[in-house]
Amino acid sequence: MNGAMWPTVLQAFRRATPPLAWYYAITLALPLANGAAQAGVAFVEHAMVVLVLPPVLIVLACAAYEGARVLPCGTTGCGMTVTEEPHKRSHRLPL
Amino acid sequence: MKIKLCMLTIVMLAIWGMKRYYADARVDDLWWILSPTARLAGSMTGAAFGMAPGEGYFSHERLFLIEKSCAGINFMIAAFGMVTFALVHRVGSGLSVVRVLGVSLLASYSAAVLVNAARIAIALWLAAHPIAPSTFTSAQVHRLEGIVVYFGGLVLLYELVQRFDRGIALTRSEP
Repeated sequence: MNGAMWPTVLQAFRRATPPLAWYYAITLALPLANGAAQAGVAFVEHAMVVLVLPPVLIVLACAAYEGARVLPCGTTGCGMTVTEEPHKRSHRLPL
Repeated sequence: MKIKLCMLTIVMLAIWGMKRYYADARVDDLWWILSPTARLAGSMTGAAFGMAPGEGYFSHERLFLIEKSCAGINFMIAAFGMVTFALVHRVGSGLSVVRVLGVSLLASYSAAVLVNAARIAIALWLAAHPIAPSTFTSAQVHRLEGIVVYFGGLVLLYELVQRFDRGIALTRSEP
């Protein structure tokens, strides 16, 4: 991962914290509170996927966003004119 | 502060109640969410879903069953809690509690139907176009797809609510 991407990733994680927290609460915390851990390996395997995939998706979305941002406008069709300066580009996050 | 705590208590009780209801409900009791989901998924994919009592909504030509676990109730509960907490700062009176709870309920229900229908449409497409069959089983693909769509749906819903919230704040601050 490019070092310049870290601020984007951190900001994306900050913005995605409420959905992430609620997703984990409903898919992991509540089932655990209801004794889902008794299912053993099956639940652990499921929990690992549920735990790991959303952060991976956030990082992938940031990578895609950063990748699209550094591409020349001509290839993305973003509509910016060549007279625009790079620092004027929007730095909105994908999330 | 007191009224906010009161509302959050109501929300937590509602979440607990919805979880209990979902655990005890039969598939036929969930018609209020399964029926619009099946109709929307049908219109997205062209598949015809018919009600199969005691089982859910079944598409004969696609051999696909929308059963109780596909109802999206967990997504709706997560969305309801998330939207309510995102809007809790707007609570200041009894009327605003009712308004926030109403908006949260409506947003979470609509999002659950829409996101779940999209998930089913993608699942139908994936069933017709299997990818990397040697790497993942169809159950694993279904699980991964569910996580991606539900989590993505929650993130999108949160962004929409934030924009809506900012829009109201801007409108109110204008002279």
